[in-house]
Parts: sequence; structure tokens; C-alpha cells
Amino acid sequence: MNCLICGNPFYSAPTWRKLFLYEVDASTCNRCYSKFQKADTAVDFLDFKGTIYEEAVDSVTALYAYNEAMKSYLHQYKFLQDVALATVFATDLSQLFENKEGIVVPIPMHLEKLQIRTFAQVDELLNSASIPFKHLLVKTATSEQGKKSKKERLKATPLFEVIGKVEEKTYILFDDIYTTGTTIHHAAKVLKDAGAKKVEAITLIKG
Amino acid sequence: MNKQLQQFLTGRIWLREHTPFPREVIDAHIDSGHIRLKRGIESDKSTFLFWKLKKNFCNRCHNTNHSLFYKFHCARCNKSCVYCRHCIRMGRVSSCSELILWNGKHARGANDHVFDWNGQLTPLQQKASEELLVSVERNESHLLFAVCGAGKTELLFPSIYTCLQRGKRVCVAAPRTDVILELFPRFQKVFPKTTIHALYGGARDQEGFADLVLTTTHQLYRFENAFDVVFVDEADAFPYYADETLQRAVTKAAKKDAAIHYVTATPNKSLKTKNQSMLSKRYHGHNLPVPRFSGLWGYEKKLKKGKVPYKLQQWIEQKTRDKIPFLVFLPTIEILESFPGDLPRVHAEHPERKETVMHLREKKIPGLLTTTILERGITIENVHVAVVGAEQPIFTSSALIQISGRVGRSSNYPTGDIVFFHHGITHEMDRAKAAIEGWNKG
Repeated sequence: MNCLICGNPFYSAPTWRKLFLYEVDASTCNRCYSKFQKADTAVDFLDFKGTIYEEAVDSVTALYAYNEAMKSYLHQYKFLQDVALATVFATDLSQLFENKEGIVVPIPMHLEKLQIRTFAQVDELLNSASIPFKHLLVKTATSEQGKKSKKERLKATPLFEVIGKVEEKTYILFDDIYTTGTTIHHAAKVLKDAGAKKVEAITLIKG
Repeated sequence: MNKQLQQFLTGRIWLREHTPFPREVIDAHIDSGHIRLKRGIESDKSTFLFWKLKKNFCNRCHNTNHSLFYKFHCARCNKSCVYCRHCIRMGRVSSCSELILWNGKHARGANDHVFDWNGQLTPLQQKASEELLVSVERNESHLLFAVCGAGKTELLFPSIYTCLQRGKRVCVAAPRTDVILELFPRFQKVFPKTTIHALYGGARDQEGFADLVLTTTHQLYRFENAFDVVFVDEADAFPYYADETLQRAVTKAAKKDAAIHYVTATPNKSLKTKNQSMLSKRYHGHNLPVPRFSGLWGYEKKLKKGKVPYKLQQWIEQKTRDKIPFLVFLPTIEILESFPGDLPRVHAEHPERKETVMHLREKKIPGLLTTTILERGITIENVHVAVVGAEQPIFTSSALIQISGRVGRSSNYPTGDIVFFHHGITHEMDRAKAAIEGWNKG
């Protein structure tokens, strides 16, 4: 097999689990994979204390830190639109979601943006790990979070609207990257307002 | 008709959504028939008994390797789309993307060329240069074989000038960006009135129509039917030989009746053409340094334990003491990264590769560990070279010849130490040594 990131051939040993338990094969070589760094610190969201978003999210888990390797990964995945790279973290994600209970809700993209990018990068990450999810949110604002200052982000009017029925259950929000937390908090708030009991969040990267 | 667009697109094949021109301009030229469209990926389906065979073909890079195509559900066309991962760094080409080609009259250059060069060629260089010129005038393919440090670039000048004068569009392709960056100012000086473009990954957009294009072989994916004459420099180089699509790219970029000339230091069997010239002496007339073999048994285990093998340690210390700059070539990035000690090291993904090599030239550092990335193109005065693990498959005879060619390039220091540390001698090592000795005999 050839590594999805560096293109060099690598050998992954056959195992019984792969044969009988449909365990997914690694898609990258060890050298490329070891450059990703696990997020070491827990995600805190003290900044939202005192705002209307306080207590919207119950917990946030991030898998990886944002380092050089992750930066170039995101560049190739999102901006060069290399959809194949969605599978790089499939094993990690399926392990993480295995012991979580709740309805997985991916953060949606604006439809216009989706047309341009041709794929929803958050959904594809979940698809590659065979994690079932439900689209309960729709994005109303077009502007990108990355281009705003923190103050602007907090002030902004709700970014999402709820579509479909929200029950009194646990929901797990999923996004690719947690930077300031605005996106997650906005999404969590509309879910809570619609009647969700508990809202957790998982992101691939802690920015 | 937009003249700038004509100049830009002549001979090119480009993604419709990625041009430096506004969308309306492109659309208008498609409507008027000046631009022709091509589908991004061609897909063929056929069945053989109960197998379903699917063949994809990227219209830009001509890739057919099925493991480099990826299928996904595309939100733009709302269908299942295939894209090519091989040339993705130039902007993704998928089934629903369109490539544009210029369909109207081709742009032409000013054809006002000045040849400003009065360098001296050695008699051997002169002979090769004249032979090449004869082939160029007959429009026949030519193989110029020249040892490392023979001064190949200079002897291309007269041939290139002749082509330009006849209104031909000329391309000089080399495998690496470093080489293009080095060639560009030299060509600008020799052809001061000619529009020259230098193309490589990350190059800025350049205006006008270039009669002379210096380009990395990779960038040729973006040309089709463009050049009357192509010179392929370092035709034996990785990644040219490693990648078949690069060879196809050269033929695709050339016009049907164009002559393709090859320049190489290590002729490969598939490159043999009818017309050949040989340049087996360096420009300073001294012999090529001959590599010596030295056993470094079990070096991999030692290095894994975090120890530098004794002989290698001695060699490095000796060069450091004598203040001779040295290069140590290592077979893999893993060995390079885990090599004990704090010697500076460079590999393909190293962000400060150029700076580190500069440091060695300026003698700020005693020596450098490297992968095969530095095997060609670099000149460091009085450098001595060691290859560690010369028996490994990555060190082919042509790679070893190139590496040996780093030594003794300047006329001040025409000799130097080149040693192959090995764990067993391979045919490739013997072949490299025999070839070098053969050239020295003349």
C-alpha cells in the first residue's frame, strides 16, 4: 500500500482483526502518522462564562493538536480538496465514538460553500469511520469564522438553525477544528434551546 | 479576442476555474470558439465475464494508475465523481471539472532575439555543441551525454539561439526547481531581448508570450502541443525515471513533429537515439574522482542503537579536523532523522534546504547529512563525499555516478575523497565505478 500523505509504499501487517472484524487498514505510513500530535491539554471554555453561551456545552474533547503536520494535512484535505484524506483518522475516530452515547450531529457547511468545496469535510470524516450521524442543524450565516476577531464572533447573531426534531437526549456535536469555540457554542445553544438534555462536543483538532 | 488570454493559453491546458482571467472573459471566448473544452477525467467502463473493469485517465497529467484516482460523492454535480490525486497540487481535476485549451490562432513572440555570449568552449565542448546544432537544424532527436561538471548548459546556447531565430518555441525542462532557479538568470543574460518564463511550483504569473520556457518537468503537465523543440536536462534524474507520466508529459507538451533532445550524465538504455555526442572530460580537463569501497558491516544495527559506526566516525572527524567540507549521503529519511549527533541534515521536506547548503558553502558548518535530494545540481568547492549504505536499492548506478560527480568540480580542487561505505558490494556499485574509470580512460 502507498501512504496517502507522502505517497511512499509502506507495509501494514495482516492481522486476524482485519480479516474478521472489519478493522480498517491504516492509510498512512508510520512516519507520517507519528507527526500528528495528540492534544495534551483538556479544552476549557472559561471565555464563555457570563455570556449567554455559558453552560451550552457540557464537555469538549479534541483529538489532535494543531502542528505543522496537521496544518499541511488540513491544507491538502480542505483547500486542495483531497477527499481521500478523510480516511487518515478513521480508526481514531471510530475508537473515540465507540464508548460515547448520543446522537452525533456534524457542524454543517453553508450550502453555497459546499457547492464550491464539492464535499462536506466534517461529514466525510465521520463517513470514513462509519459513524452514523444526523443533520439537525443548518448554517444560516455565510461569513467564515476564521476571518473574524473574537469579539465579532461572540457578538454575531446565531450561526445555526435547528431543522428536524430535537428530543430530550444527549447530542454529540462534531467539527474538524476547535479554535475559539464560537461555532461549537453557537450550535450547542440552539440545540439546548430546542430541548436537548446534554450537549457534548468532539473535534478532530484543537486549534 | 483578448490578446493576453491568447498569449497565456497558447500551448497550455488549464483548469477552467483556476485561470488568472475573469470568468466572463473565459466564457465569452468559449462561446466564440477561441477556447476548446476537454473533460477533466475520462472514464471507460467495460466488463470482462463478471468483472467490471474501470479505467480512468486524467486529461492533464495522463495518469492511469488506478490507486491514484479517488471516487467520492460530489456536491457540485450531485453525482459520484472521480478525481486524480497524482496532479492534485496543481488544483484538483475531477470528472466534473473542465480543462480549457486555446483553439484559435496561436500567439507569436516578437522574434527579436539577441545572443549575448562570448564564453569559451573547450575543443571537446565545441565538438559536442556543433554536433548538437547539426541535429537541431535537421530537426532530429539528439542525446548529449556529458559527465558531471562538463559544462553542459553552455553548449546548448548556440542551438537554442538557432531555434529561436527560426521562430520556434523552445522549452528547457529540468527535474528540479533548484536547477530552474539557477538556469533562469544565466539564460536572461545570454538572451537579453527574449521573453523567458521560468515555471516551477509556486512561481509567480509571468506576462506575455514566452519564446523560451524554462520549466520543471512537472509543470509540463500543464502544456499540450506547445513546443517546437524540447531540451530535457538531466534526463536520467529522479523523479523523471521514477515516474512514467513525466516522460509522457514531455511528449505531450511537444508538438507532433517536434524534436526532443536529451542531456544526461548517466545514459539509460531507453534513451539511446541515433544522434549522440559524448563529453567524457570535465571542463577543467582533470579526471573524475574514482570512488573507493569500504565495508561498514552492520551499520544499520549500530545506527539503530544510536551509535555511529567507528569507521564513519573516524572519517567525519578527519574531515572536520582538516576543515574540508563534507557530505554524507544516507539511504532513508528515517536513518537521516535518527542519526546520532548534532550534524545539520537536509531532506526533501526540509524547509531551509537552500540556507543549510549555503552554510556549508560559507564554511559555517563542517558538513552535512543528506538523502539523495542533493545528488545532483549542487557545487561546493573542495567537498568530500561519503555514501552510507551504498548497497541499498535507492543508490542505483546513476545515482552513485551523480553523487561521485559532486567531488572535484572546481579547477582549484580537481580531486577529493569519494567513499562508498557498504554492507556488501552490489552490481550497481561496480557499474558506477566501472563507468567512471571508463570515462577517465577516454
